[in-house]
Amino acid sequence: MKRSDAHILKRMRALWDDAHDFDPKDPMFGLTAAEMSGPALSRRATLRLLAAGGALTAAHLMPGGMTGAAQAEGKSGGTLNCGWAGVAEIQTLDPAQIGQVLQFQITSNVLSGLMHIDNNLVPRGDLAEDWVVSDDGLTYTFKLRQGLTFHNGDPFNADDVIYTYERSSNPDISIHSKVLANVASLEKIGDYEVRFTLKNPQASFLTKTLERASGRAMTIVSRGAIEKMGAAQYGLTPVGTGPFKVTEHVLGQGVTLEKFADYYDPERPKLDRIIIRPIDGVEPIAAALEAGDIQYIGGNPIAPQLIDRFKANPDLVVDIKPGPGFQSVWLNPWREPMKVTDFNRPMDEMLKDKGFMVRLALAKALDRDTYIKQAHFGYAVPGYGSINPAMAFYYDQEIGEKSQQAFDPDGARALLAEAGFPDGKGFPELEMIVTPGSKRNGLVLANIYKKVLGITIKVVPKEFSVGIQDFNNMEFDMRLGGSGGDYDPDDGLVDWMMTTSKFNGRTRDKAKYPFGYFSNDLVDSLTDEESVTADLEKRKMLVQEANQITSDKVTCGFLYHPVDVLVHSKVVNVPAANRIPGLADLDRVTLN
Amino acid sequence: MTSYMLRRLIGSFIVMWAVATLVFFMLRLVPGDPVAAMLADAGGPDEIAAMKARLGLDRSVFVQYGIWFSNMLQGDLGSSIYGSRIEVARIIAEALPRTLSLSLLAFLIAMVIAIPAGIISATRRNTMTDNTVSLFAFLGLSMPDFWLAIILIIIFAANLQWLPAIGYTPMDEGLWQWFRHLILPAIAIGTAFSAIIARMIRSSLLEVLNSDYMRTARAKGLTPRMLMFGHALPNAMIPVITVIGIAFALLISGAVVVENVFAIKGLGRVLIEGILNRDYPVVQGAVLVVSAIFVFSNLIVDLLYGLIDPRIRLN
Repeated sequence: MKRSDAHILKRMRALWDDAHDFDPKDPMFGLTAAEMSGPALSRRATLRLLAAGGALTAAHLMPGGMTGAAQAEGKSGGTLNCGWAGVAEIQTLDPAQIGQVLQFQITSNVLSGLMHIDNNLVPRGDLAEDWVVSDDGLTYTFKLRQGLTFHNGDPFNADDVIYTYERSSNPDISIHSKVLANVASLEKIGDYEVRFTLKNPQASFLTKTLERASGRAMTIVSRGAIEKMGAAQYGLTPVGTGPFKVTEHVLGQGVTLEKFADYYDPERPKLDRIIIRPIDGVEPIAAALEAGDIQYIGGNPIAPQLIDRFKANPDLVVDIKPGPGFQSVWLNPWREPMKVTDFNRPMDEMLKDKGFMVRLALAKALDRDTYIKQAHFGYAVPGYGSINPAMAFYYDQEIGEKSQQAFDPDGARALLAEAGFPDGKGFPELEMIVTPGSKRNGLVLANIYKKVLGITIKVVPKEFSVGIQDFNNMEFDMRLGGSGGDYDPDDGLVDWMMTTSKFNGRTRDKAKYPFGYFSNDLVDSLTDEESVTADLEKRKMLVQEANQITSDKVTCGFLYHPVDVLVHSKVVNVPAANRIPGLADLDRVTLN
Repeated sequence: MTSYMLRRLIGSFIVMWAVATLVFFMLRLVPGDPVAAMLADAGGPDEIAAMKARLGLDRSVFVQYGIWFSNMLQGDLGSSIYGSRIEVARIIAEALPRTLSLSLLAFLIAMVIAIPAGIISATRRNTMTDNTVSLFAFLGLSMPDFWLAIILIIIFAANLQWLPAIGYTPMDEGLWQWFRHLILPAIAIGTAFSAIIARMIRSSLLEVLNSDYMRTARAKGLTPRMLMFGHALPNAMIPVITVIGIAFALLISGAVVVENVFAIKGLGRVLIEGILNRDYPVVQGAVLVVSAIFVFSNLIVDLLYGLIDPRIRLN
């Protein structure tokens, strides 16, 4: 019987209501363990997870709306040639050592985790077939997939999870040991069952700690392979349980992946082989794509000046989505004329402080639209905080209007005048540290400051290894920089905005500088609370409040959120399920 | 001859040691912390300190030098401090064939263009041919190699699609594949190189052609071919070979920009990236190899003098 439109709409309405009908305090979102069990979540569970993550749309509710995205067109087989942008050599693929997006984009195709985020940034079971969270949010019990093997034929079981945990917890081996700091213990319950006990509830445990790609700490490695080939070789040709296995890795020349026939999903991967070549430089990667040497670009973000050129090419597909990250102009609060030594005072009191007036003027003068147009060819989103639009649910759509940092040239000039620098007169020349690659962006900013405030900013390009040292030591006036791969609010708030954040002047002279670039007790307590809050609505409120304070009190001049741009040849089919912002999962990709 | 060789070899090793030592201390004097860069998004001061201790970077610079030098004498160049700590010897061993392949092909292309161009230009001095060759030589010298590289990619890779735009294929995967990946970068590098050599050959030949012994040779009734290839060219090549020797060594380390355009990771890029990342062991190893190439190519040039001109004695 053919259903009427009214019936479909009624059904969609019911699904929508059901998806949102859960007790916010319930970490299971009103779902039973059976509904949460794998290998595939029930439709109801998926809709609820999407709703909880703020990512549920009408399209998901349409009959068949959940399945189309996962299906790839084109046929299986073939070789995909990829160029990895902005890198000359893939130094390592050992999850214990990788720290760059361009690396975990590759390992996500080779190694597995207990969880993996999907294209809506909702965590899904990867090696975990099922999991149960205790009511107090302190224990997570995982049932593992059975009958799996690593690429070298070794069987996968709970011992590999324990081994990975022990390896990643060891700071001598792993650079991600701190990610596991909240884990009190990991027990083996059975050959295919493990239980994590946390010291404190942690809302981001599934998406941050256990995520196979961006998490890295619990990306499952093969003990047998590491012991046999040694850590150095494992870094080149890691062995995992992922859809592709590494068959060759020549430093500076590239990585070859081949289909792993025993992958747990017999439908994946589709491709026989992937060749990944590191390509540094803007023109070389464009020429390689246009010449047909490569059909897909991964790695570092594509240079914005290429996007319109690619869009004009009828043989290419350009897909743009919000990207997970933020970029800012960092202002040293220990240097005149923007010196602020106490960010805890009420706003009206802070507005009487000349140093704060200057900081706010510098933030208000950021003509983000012009900057994005000139430095990023229009491909970025104005930023006012560390919470990015890719975190859909947590992102405050109105922060641009609510923030004290909203572009206001007259207000900025008035503040600067009140601080003793009318029309920028008498304002000292400040230095802004940029990387050599972002010198142009720095010059665009300097031009905006000149135009809006009449002040001179000297752009100083420094290699990353030098600039980061100055930043850590608090030896800078201004610095252009920020974060990428931020899928969870903690990636912004915990890592950057707290007094104890790992980037907050971490190697400063503590006798001279009690804190780094920012310190606010309320932001600290809000962040402490949100990071252990499983109630999503409450967490959202705490996250947005903390984000608003960091914006209003000028932790830095928030500038923009990057966009995630995927460019590939039309012969490549990238289904929606593989379109995860910041990642380059290729397991469902086919060739026409 | 043997004692000359021995003296030169000892001298060469001293030069290499001096260069490597200088670079060792200079690199540690310049600002930049490799561990802070490596732990950019992970770890705090404790982790930084622990990693420095693990890498031996917390010791005094003289102790570090002593350890490095002693290991180097035993053939151990150490490991990269980044990523999976790949051995420096392996990094260099993988990059060197790419650089040598590219440099040799560029050198061959340069010679094939430069020798006839130089001879024609010198023997037809101040004619239209000479002016045309000179014009092209100046063009070759004036064009930045990376610009020429991009133009070649746009024409032969992107538009005509005859040749690949990027990458390197080792010779053991087929001579043709090796050649077609290297021909464009080799032309980009070899063009400027050929212009220098052609100008050098021209001026050197002009000097020789006007000498007394050439007048005598002509008076003896030798054919122009015998005059050129039997007498003039060998004598004219002595200063040219000096330039070729230095230029070839420069090619090895200086092809970095073109290597970048064609996404070929050669020795130059290993060195540059090592410096930018403050990857001390990689820089030390690469500098050692580059200085060895410089020193030994100059040694070969000196030995060639004796072969070309028997009047030059190497003792």
